[in-house]
Amino acid sequence: MLRTTSLLAALLRTSLANAMQYRADFVFDGITGVMRVFGVLVPVVLVFSQRDEVLGWTAPELTLVTGLFFLAQAVLTGLVEPNLGEVVDAVRSGSFDFLLLKPVDAQLLASFRRVAPARLWDLLAAVALVGWASSQLPAPSVPDVLAAVVTGVAGLAALYSVWLLAICTSFWFVRVDNLRFLLWSVSDAGRWPLRVFGPLIRTVLVVVVPIGVATTFPALALRGDWTWGLVAGAVAVGGGFLVGSRFVWRRALASYTSASS
Amino acid sequence: MTHFFRALPDLVRVGLAGVAAYRAEMAIWILSATMPLVMLALWDAVAAEGPIAGLDALDLGRYFVAALVVRQLSSAWLLWELNQEIRSGRLSTRLLKPMHPLLQHGVDMLVAVPLRLLVLSPVLVGLALLRPDLVWLPTLPHAIAFAFALAAAWAVNFLIQALFAILSFWIDKSDALFGVWFGLYSLLSGYVAPMDVFPEGVARVLRLLPFRAMLGGPVEILAGLSTPAEIATDLAVAWGWTFALLALVLVGWRIGVRRYGAFGA
Repeated sequence: MLRTTSLLAALLRTSLANAMQYRADFVFDGITGVMRVFGVLVPVVLVFSQRDEVLGWTAPELTLVTGLFFLAQAVLTGLVEPNLGEVVDAVRSGSFDFLLLKPVDAQLLASFRRVAPARLWDLLAAVALVGWASSQLPAPSVPDVLAAVVTGVAGLAALYSVWLLAICTSFWFVRVDNLRFLLWSVSDAGRWPLRVFGPLIRTVLVVVVPIGVATTFPALALRGDWTWGLVAGAVAVGGGFLVGSRFVWRRALASYTSASS
Repeated sequence: MTHFFRALPDLVRVGLAGVAAYRAEMAIWILSATMPLVMLALWDAVAAEGPIAGLDALDLGRYFVAALVVRQLSSAWLLWELNQEIRSGRLSTRLLKPMHPLLQHGVDMLVAVPLRLLVLSPVLVGLALLRPDLVWLPTLPHAIAFAFALAAAWAVNFLIQALFAILSFWIDKSDALFGVWFGLYSLLSGYVAPMDVFPEGVARVLRLLPFRAMLGGPVEILAGLSTPAEIATDLAVAWGWTFALLALVLVGWRIGVRRYGAFGA
């Protein structure tokens, strides 16, 4: 366990150093980051210029969901996503061999080798949005906060697993870029509370691309609207995805034949 | 020009073959462009309690279905193609052909449009089965006006991408710049909300920008939400932008191509 944590720390350190070579990108991404925030907030502002409440969500509560959405995005695009393209290329070119030769867990190595530090902007946006929303809402109780943390972490774990599964497909298929686009556009729906959607999309957003677990669930918890069932469901989804993706990863590794053979 | 028309059938054939080679990919692209349906769900929930800015739930529903259609039919991917060609030097082969490279790309992307409609049709049929109230037929005048508006939407999109691609003759990050443009487009084109929902003053400015010509304008015509006067203004603005951009692109291309030294030169 200690070895894993120090490995993770070392990975993050080197990948950060790697990414920091491109300082201009960082600033540039700041600009697009601000635009992304506007892009997400403008519809919220427009909706609430017409109504005080939408399906039982007030403006601060919806902003909370938006903030959590940015948090999930920051984690995914900052930590997980940059690795996806990397592994796909490595599998195709055969340089994945080098990664396998290292005496550490390949999944860890494959999923945290690259970071996109520019996504710190998303994180800042997330903190600002959640901060503003909380200042407008009554303070949540300790159990509420705990439930929010548990569901949020479970949601993030599940999302990480989904992206890992996407990585795994590259062992069998060549073009996975589009899968990536698909995942992004589906997870974009996570910026709205699940109640906005019909039962079908709602189910998709909880058990297929579980962005709802990382956004709506913690927001519900923070406003004291949670049940044990909700927390248990989140943990089940998160744990299930983690175990499942680990299993698929192993299968995928077993079918890896290197580029030359 | 006679050149072009003689080569056209072959260009179309090549373009179709290219599109058909990546059919599965295209299906995923289209699935991932279903964002208007998410917005539909949201505005549906908002409108359930009463009309917004004069639009009831039905108007909004049709608006976003139309947005889905227009978005698909006006799409182009010139920027990425051209960027790649300029950076890798593959543009050289295109320059050798006795036809403007933008024309070659234009045909390629236009032939994909009917195919996109074909791939989109299952989504539309599914939607019609789920929400039969959203099915409608535009009147003939609306349909004609829509055809003109859609053509302008496609042209503006194509030309804007050409403009950003021309920038890659000078700079590296033209696709990142386009990201900024695309962000503005999603906000201001009517993609997230109909113009009428924006504050009056803002909406008035938005109606004059190219963003609306690319989406909101044709969408409102198709959904039957615009008055004849609005249609006239929309078409005038859209075609005004088309010709202005065309001039800009042709001039920009001439200057840019002179800077192009092919890869490795």
